[in-house]
Amino acid sequence: MPKVDIIAAIATAPGRGGIGVVRVSGESLLDLARAVLGKDPVPRVATLSNFLASDGSVIDQGLALYFPAPHSYTGEDVLELQGHGGDAVLRLLVCRCLELGARPAEPGEFTRRAFLNDKMDLAQAESVVDLIDAATTEAAKTAMRSLRGEFSHAIHQLVDALVNLRMLVEATLDFPEEKIDFLAESDAMGQLAGIKTRLEDIFRRAKQGSLLREGMHIVLIGQPNVGKSSLLNQLAGEEVAIVTPVAGTTRDAIRQHIEIDGVALHFIDTAGLRETEDEIEKMGIARAWRAIEHANVALLLIDAVKGVAPADLEIISRLPTGLPLVRVFNKIDLVGQGPAAISSGGVTDILLSAKTGAGMELLHRHLLQIVGWQHSGEGLFMARERHLSALREAREHLDMAGAGDCQIELFAEELKLAQRALSSITGEFGSDDLLGEIFSRFCIGK
Amino acid sequence: MLFPTKFDVIVIGGGHAGTEAALASARMGVTTLLLTHNIETLGQMSCNPSIGGIGKGHLVKEVDALGGAMATATDEAGIQFRILNSSKGPAVRATRAQADRVLYKQAIRNRLENQPNLWLFQQAVDDLILENDRVAGVKTQLGLHFRAKTVVLTAGTFLAGLVHVGQSNYRAGRAGDPPSITLALRLRELRLPVLRFKTGTPPRIDGRSLDYSVMVEQPGDDPVPVFSFLGDPATHPRQMPCWITQTNLRTHEIIRGGLDRSPLYTGVIEGVGPRYCPSIEDKIMRFSGKDSHQIFVEPEGLNTHEIYPNGISTSLPFDVQVELVRSIRGFENAHITRPGYAIEYDYFDPLGLKSSLETKMIHGLFFAGQINGTTGYEEAAAQGLLAGINAGLMAQEKSAWHPGRDQAYMGVMVDDLITRGVVEPYRMFTSRAEYRLMLREDNADLRLTEAGRSLGVVDDERWRHFEEKREAIAREQERLKSTWVSPRLLPQEEAVRVLGKGIEREYSLLDLLRRPDISYADLMTLPGAGESVKDERVAEQVEIQAKYQGYISRQLEEIARHQHYETLLLPLELDYREVPGLSIEVQQKLNHHKPETLGQAARISGVTPAAISVLLVHLKRGFSINNDKKIA
Repeated sequence: MPKVDIIAAIATAPGRGGIGVVRVSGESLLDLARAVLGKDPVPRVATLSNFLASDGSVIDQGLALYFPAPHSYTGEDVLELQGHGGDAVLRLLVCRCLELGARPAEPGEFTRRAFLNDKMDLAQAESVVDLIDAATTEAAKTAMRSLRGEFSHAIHQLVDALVNLRMLVEATLDFPEEKIDFLAESDAMGQLAGIKTRLEDIFRRAKQGSLLREGMHIVLIGQPNVGKSSLLNQLAGEEVAIVTPVAGTTRDAIRQHIEIDGVALHFIDTAGLRETEDEIEKMGIARAWRAIEHANVALLLIDAVKGVAPADLEIISRLPTGLPLVRVFNKIDLVGQGPAAISSGGVTDILLSAKTGAGMELLHRHLLQIVGWQHSGEGLFMARERHLSALREAREHLDMAGAGDCQIELFAEELKLAQRALSSITGEFGSDDLLGEIFSRFCIGK
Repeated sequence: MLFPTKFDVIVIGGGHAGTEAALASARMGVTTLLLTHNIETLGQMSCNPSIGGIGKGHLVKEVDALGGAMATATDEAGIQFRILNSSKGPAVRATRAQADRVLYKQAIRNRLENQPNLWLFQQAVDDLILENDRVAGVKTQLGLHFRAKTVVLTAGTFLAGLVHVGQSNYRAGRAGDPPSITLALRLRELRLPVLRFKTGTPPRIDGRSLDYSVMVEQPGDDPVPVFSFLGDPATHPRQMPCWITQTNLRTHEIIRGGLDRSPLYTGVIEGVGPRYCPSIEDKIMRFSGKDSHQIFVEPEGLNTHEIYPNGISTSLPFDVQVELVRSIRGFENAHITRPGYAIEYDYFDPLGLKSSLETKMIHGLFFAGQINGTTGYEEAAAQGLLAGINAGLMAQEKSAWHPGRDQAYMGVMVDDLITRGVVEPYRMFTSRAEYRLMLREDNADLRLTEAGRSLGVVDDERWRHFEEKREAIAREQERLKSTWVSPRLLPQEEAVRVLGKGIEREYSLLDLLRRPDISYADLMTLPGAGESVKDERVAEQVEIQAKYQGYISRQLEEIARHQHYETLLLPLELDYREVPGLSIEVQQKLNHHKPETLGQAARISGVTPAAISVLLVHLKRGFSINNDKKIA
């Protein structure tokens, strides 16, 4: 029997359900289960348990279900962690499993394993194929999305630097009769140190704040009393999800973060953007304007009773061109209108009442549509987590490569493994590609 | 006329692929005929007089581990031996030898003539005898018909060979030999996928006209290495040095001045040449910033003055060749004995081959060597050996054998050829092997000789030698594992002397040997270490395995994970357009490649993990899956 690696993923659809499930499957899960639960799992019995972080602190409390192979969904050992927390907590749980040696599951992988281990009948085969097909398309899309911007740029720079170093190392190994010692001439350890710095930099960026950091940046325009707080609370759902509550310095007051359906929404409140003499406040305002440059959407909140305020019009005139605008008419309950969403000419009007909740679902859906979120398939989080786990693996190998008096062929081996880990992000890079780099760069051969 | 004997295996061609193929099948005990257009050129080294090098030396050792001729013949003919990368780790060390052409040819001829079950016949082959989609024999120039169960074609550069020197060109198999025109035409009619490659050689020079005093001498290693696992330096002939000189700016100027008459740069040559073995005109054009290129002055043999100036392969017109050669330091008065030339030849897209090197289109027909788009004696010999073994197995009605990528460079090469095809002549490099740390020269016998023994290609003497070595290694490893060094009993100064510092707990000798800076020899000087093994090759093996152990066990785990895919067979007749869930691009790729196993399919570029999942599901659904037939 081939060795099967351990996979983990959030098994429930992202959303506001009361219970979320993280599923783990693989060969011999006992160690992982013990580490997460702090005790031996009981086979086939739902057990109330704490879910523990590496430092022993409690991530969540919930039900643990352990199915030893072969009597499980996939036919392998399966551990299901049913937590109470929202998406953020589920992600922490998945990350904890990854820490313990699991890797993020490929789209449809649980089902595929179930099928291959004879846990499904032939009639289900076609649907498995469809699932793999659909899930991979979706995964490709989400992976693309998660790889935009600076993150992607930094990863490509990292890989380029790694390819360059590997080229030198492999040329040194395969062409010893050439006059040049490729490696000595080009400061291999210095290059390795540079690569590791880049990698650390990527980690810092990826982890800054939290995993929820990326998401939608929304410029929130609207005067006091127009209902912003109630709108945000309504959006965030019953469990209050204002991550950075209005408090402390003036700077914090300008930016607020909430999360819906696992997507981080960053609100830049333009009510704070006013003329001021306060130096600290001025700095905060300048920062807010820079953030607005990168915004995904502007949301103008209008009191349906009073109409648009002149101060709001001024703000709108200063927004970057091409930024989509959503006009939210709040307090429709006071003017006796029903909820509605009307789109025309790049502007969407949404009529709602933050107080009664009427029309909130329309706004909710519209915002998620803009960010490109889909309930089905795998989310941005898993795609990003896959990248991060690839980066972590690469880091391990780079550390090994740099450790002590490594022989050059072992150095080469670690670099190769580091690059292979990264190939899940950047695509396949084979020995032919590497040889191609060598031949184009050096005049080789007798 | 129908030749009265029916053969099990007919090998066409007497180069490095053909001779290994014929010897291998004959060793297996099947009746073999080697057909060559000229018995005098059996075992001819058409290009440079050297065997081995990085990656290539690995192949030679593997050929040797399977009882092949190349290593032992080189030991009899080698006039300079070196271990390349000797300052680096064992995985990337490789043996290289200069060989006396005449001695090498003799050594090969001698083995062929004395091999039981093997018969030689001199006659050019013009056609294959086919019965439906199965090969049944060959027809020669004189109209002789030879019948055989299997045929191995190793035509080298002879198929429709075209030699270029400047603007003039003529048809030839190599300089001085006729090409195979009729056979090439016949093979084209069979609609096997034919393509063209190009390769070249430098002008040969009379050594008496050279001034060695201005060149750098490059001696062989001392002690002199051997190639074969059974080798003995005492069998080497007299040893000679090589010399190194280089081109200069004037040389480059002369070459640029001749480019308007270069067949390479005027578009006369269409075939693709290798980037790692470029002609001198190519080097100068592609790397115009380099002021000088190295030339290795290699002796052609003990009893000839001819030398091979390695590094100035060219197809420039002869007058330019004379001028460029004489611009080189030490070559001022050089007399060229044979002009350099380029040769274009037919090869067949190796995607059309199975891992046994049998063609997918014609049953019983095997291809080996340059005809598959490779270059190099060693690559040819390794394929010849493999094709010979598989032709022999087929004649015995046994299932095919091929080593995996984790088992041999041979396996890497064949798998690369049949899953990726070639875009330039294929040469082995260690960077092609993902399990490089396991595929070493020093353990080629441990990797392959046992398989070779059960295939019938390893004789009693080699087997006895191998078994002794293997047992000695296991014994010593066991001894080191069970001999403990205790901090109480080990004097501090001894610990510091051998280990660099004291030990804080008990260690086995094997644990200590795993430390990167402790050699076996040093360890054996430790008090209580006991008696070391006498055989250096055993000690070497114990040491290397200990040093690489961590890496190797990781690789073994990885291999075990993938092994499953290698045993899942995909039927060749499967039309991938009928597999739902595969993208059009993947369907086309798979239909073009027709992989034999899921493992091969996964290595085809552009075939995604998702596509492999889809194939797995379909295999599982049970279409023509045959997992009883084990692939070794």
